[in-house]
Amino acid sequence: MWRYLINRFLLMIPTLLGVAIIIFLLLRVIPGDVVEAKFMSGEGSGVSNEVLAAERARLGLDKPVWEQFAIWIWGVARFDFGISMWTGGPISEEIALRFALSLQVALMATIVATLLALPLGVIAALKQDTWVDYAVRVFSIAGLAMPSFWLGILMILGFLIFFKWVPPMVYTPFWIDPWQNMVQLVWPALAVGYRYSAVATRMTRSSMLEVLREDYIRTARAKGLWLKLILVRHALKNAMLPVVTVIGLEFAFLLGGLVVTEQVFNLNGLGLLFVQAITRRDYTLTQALVLLVAAAFIFVNFAMDVMYAWLDPRIRFR
Amino acid sequence: MSTATDIASVDTVTAADRGRRWSAVVADFCRRRPLGAIGAGVVVLMIVVALTAPGIAPYDPLNIDFAAMLAPPDAAHWLGTDAYGRDVLSRIIYGSQTALIVGFGAAFIGATAGAVLGVGSAYFGGRTDLVVQRFMDIFISFPLIILALAMVAILGNTLPNLIIAITVPMIPRCSLVIRSSALSIREMPYVDAARAAGYGHARIILRHMLPNVMAPYLIMLTSFLGQAILLEASLSFLGLGVQEPTAAWGLMLRGAAVEFAETAPWMALFPGLAISLAVFAFNLFGDSLRDALDPKLRTG
Amino acid sequence: MNARRMTWFAGILSATASLLLLTAADALADEKPRSGGELIFPVPSEPPSYDAHREQTFGVIHPVAPHYNGLLRFDPTDPTGTKPVADLAESWTVSDDGLTYIFKLRKGVKFHDGAEMTSADVKASYDKIVFPPAGVVSDRKGQYTVVKAIEAPDANTVVFRLKWPAVSFLASLASPWNWIYRAEILAKDPHWYETHINGTGPFTFVEHVKGSHWVGKKNPNYWDKGKPYLDGYRALFIKSSAAQVAAVRGERAHIQFRGFTPADRDALKAALGDKITVAESPWDCLLMVAPNHQKKPFGDKRVRRALTLALDRYAGSKALSRIAIVKEVAGVQVPGTPYATPPAELEKLAGYGKDINAARAEAKKLLKEAGAEGLTFTLSNRGVPMPYEPVAVWLIDQWRQIGVTVKQEVVEAAAYYGVLKKGEFDIAMDFQCGYTVEPDLDLYKFTSRSKNPSNFGFYEDKVLDDLYEKQSRAKTVDERKKYVREFEKRLLDEEAHYMMTLQWHRIIPHSSKVHGWQVTPSHYLNNMLDTVWLSDGPSH
Repeated sequence: MWRYLINRFLLMIPTLLGVAIIIFLLLRVIPGDVVEAKFMSGEGSGVSNEVLAAERARLGLDKPVWEQFAIWIWGVARFDFGISMWTGGPISEEIALRFALSLQVALMATIVATLLALPLGVIAALKQDTWVDYAVRVFSIAGLAMPSFWLGILMILGFLIFFKWVPPMVYTPFWIDPWQNMVQLVWPALAVGYRYSAVATRMTRSSMLEVLREDYIRTARAKGLWLKLILVRHALKNAMLPVVTVIGLEFAFLLGGLVVTEQVFNLNGLGLLFVQAITRRDYTLTQALVLLVAAAFIFVNFAMDVMYAWLDPRIRFR
Repeated sequence: MSTATDIASVDTVTAADRGRRWSAVVADFCRRRPLGAIGAGVVVLMIVVALTAPGIAPYDPLNIDFAAMLAPPDAAHWLGTDAYGRDVLSRIIYGSQTALIVGFGAAFIGATAGAVLGVGSAYFGGRTDLVVQRFMDIFISFPLIILALAMVAILGNTLPNLIIAITVPMIPRCSLVIRSSALSIREMPYVDAARAAGYGHARIILRHMLPNVMAPYLIMLTSFLGQAILLEASLSFLGLGVQEPTAAWGLMLRGAAVEFAETAPWMALFPGLAISLAVFAFNLFGDSLRDALDPKLRTG
Repeated sequence: MNARRMTWFAGILSATASLLLLTAADALADEKPRSGGELIFPVPSEPPSYDAHREQTFGVIHPVAPHYNGLLRFDPTDPTGTKPVADLAESWTVSDDGLTYIFKLRKGVKFHDGAEMTSADVKASYDKIVFPPAGVVSDRKGQYTVVKAIEAPDANTVVFRLKWPAVSFLASLASPWNWIYRAEILAKDPHWYETHINGTGPFTFVEHVKGSHWVGKKNPNYWDKGKPYLDGYRALFIKSSAAQVAAVRGERAHIQFRGFTPADRDALKAALGDKITVAESPWDCLLMVAPNHQKKPFGDKRVRRALTLALDRYAGSKALSRIAIVKEVAGVQVPGTPYATPPAELEKLAGYGKDINAARAEAKKLLKEAGAEGLTFTLSNRGVPMPYEPVAVWLIDQWRQIGVTVKQEVVEAAAYYGVLKKGEFDIAMDFQCGYTVEPDLDLYKFTSRSKNPSNFGFYEDKVLDDLYEKQSRAKTVDERKKYVREFEKRLLDEEAHYMMTLQWHRIIPHSSKVHGWQVTPSHYLNNMLDTVWLSDGPSH
């Protein structure tokens, strides 16, 4: 098993390196660069070409691409992501607050989703093809179907019209004022959590169904309710693996993927930073963000594989 | 149940038989999966609306009428008008064309490319499989919105480019699923037999592997349909999708719809409902199709 | 009416008048600025660096300007924002030939770090702007090519020597971007001010939390005794306009200095009533259409004239001003400012007439003559929704009415300049914003391409260049007006090199507690906050 784990761990490195190479090249294929975005895209006047060239040299953009890449990747290997090309501040500083926010929203949305998904999924599976099952399925598919930004707009509008109330629009970190913080973040967490619960509910339902069809459970179900309940607990445990996988992967996705929702609720999180970074052609910041989100995703994937290996003897002894 | 004999039996039925079988299958599907049938019904309705848009839309969707700006729903404009006095209903009707083109285009290309890569990767195995899978890993861990942003920035935001941008992130997801189905088929004795008989790779893949991954392929295809429509709406909402004055649902939710949400809520409400209904229908249908096709989930 | 009654009547009149005067005085007494409170305002954009000499965005001005002074500033009470007055300079003289400007500086002005401000600081700051050392970016260097030398003969005197007389020179010294930095710091590190704050301004720096806010507090040693009135200010970085409006609406912010949309204004007014005061002004930003003269058939002036004739600017103004931040129908100068063309004159230009049907008939005729009937082209637009998108939708509709089919291609803001620069377009939306309305600054863009790289019509026009020069060196205001008018006629009517759409319109609905702030045509002006005060305690 250890060999499998080490192998699996080492496989993460080429994947991350691949992500690094692709984002690095992709950014350089996109027309325009940070110097142009900064000095040439406002409503003001332009600056001379010499100044642009000097500014490019200062940022190291005049070096050959492979050299830029080498410098960057060498820094990354030492966990030094460099400075933002747009603000000149260290990347870690640019990201810190936004990361805290995105992480919190992702965690809260995950909690919302799990609390909704597990009971609904289990009930739907137990009552398969009854009106309960249909209701749960309609509820969860509706969550998948509604754009969460639209749900967000409706929520804000609803508060405004019915309660004359606007949620706070500026982020207060949890450790400064927990109440303000929760009042702001609970709404996006609900809007996102609902959508996310839909994925998890469906997964819970189908893996429960699968387990419920195993012979030993069928026999048990025939024997009465009491035993059935015990076995449902047992079944749930077995059905959890794919559910946990889905929840984990969605969580990794939420970290950087809430662009539109963040826009609607004015959350200054990683998603919006992503869009800003790429529209400003802030190469260093975009690269760092992509690596961060990809690493989270790859790591969650790895953790899931470890869990599978641990629980599934066929993989453990391979 | 052997899938191989199943396919063989399909091959031997006559055309007349097939017609009868199809209607029977449809009737059976409706009876056993009412939700799926409702979904399918809405999808069909949507296609009809998109095809007959010029005939049924009460107004030209591009026609600006400043005299009727921001008019609430009434007899003249059933769903009201937008900030330029354009008829919201007509724009929703024409918007279904954009949604369907993007939805079907992206889902078909994404699922097909994913299927080809998945099957190829599983069939050839070894080094090919390893390399393809590494690439898929890379793309799947790439943040989706960044891919889309980058594609649009490089290619420009025309409709075909938008479809490509939506397709790219779908390919690895589909290929992973198809590959795992294809892997189990590769181990089947009849594939070995075909290989031993000296058939070429192309023939084995086309005749034996592809038909057997049809079920997961169709499942992925239908689930992508809804996702593609949703993604198109999100990208248009961000200003990265189709451009004004083209009628598109995501675009209708943008800008003025948000600004006037309080005084003219119909601008944000109806296009959002249209998106939700369409995606809802595709998902209902796709889910039921999955239940029907996936043997593991078949109720005994 | 006899004499006595006459006197009596006059007596009553004067009594009423003095009563009126009294109430006015009372009102003024009420209007006496109150000290205290924290002004809270959202800023839609965050400062890239803190150095205004190198940046272009109001995202630097709004949060950072209260820390600094300039040599001159624009009169903070002037609604046109065109009148230069003293700031760190106390007085000045101009030589008869217009080539030497001598400024006397205020005494006893201190930087926030305690150092005395002297002429060396002014000289060092202007040297950095006009003659930046290698590796230092000065964004507006090009506007100061007229400067030959800057001298500091003694601690309180600064002298600017010019290469030629320029009527607009005082205005360019009042630029809100030209903050005075400390010479000693600049000498050690010309990049220091990109990441640090040390000015002479009314507020000192407290903190900047990236992605969140910027805080300043009252400078107790400010040279202008009694000011500032505020205890401090807090700038909140909020990108989404809906959230900015929500902040003002929820009384979590007092004002946003850039501008809101008409929809936002109406919603705020409806929700908060007289708790909201709306300040509006034409905005010194212009959206124009640049036909690429190098692309067929836009080299043909009949086609260009047809396209401008098709625009019903007055009806467009009425409709678009309800949904977008545009309103005034204008030529090359903001309406209401000294060199603006009066409306009656403006109507004589192509596309500005009141009879739209006649204009469109003429447009169709011109297109036919030019063999461009059923013309089809792509309008390249900048990927910024407000007001670019509504104006584009309007343009496309207007052109549709003379049988021209137009497709819009939206290019992301960062890449848009590349498209303009390379001329990879048929017709493009072009734009210009200024910090003050001044023909020298505003008209330069329209001179020949060979002189001026921001001409995106890609044309050469010696006559225009000549007129530009003439207005810039005109001796009297009337003479200058005449040349500006001729320039406008040639640019917009005879040659139709460029087409103006509508002037931007700045709408600032703010808390009625905010006083002492004047809206101007520029969102770069009046952000020092020294004159601003709040009439009530902050809403905590």
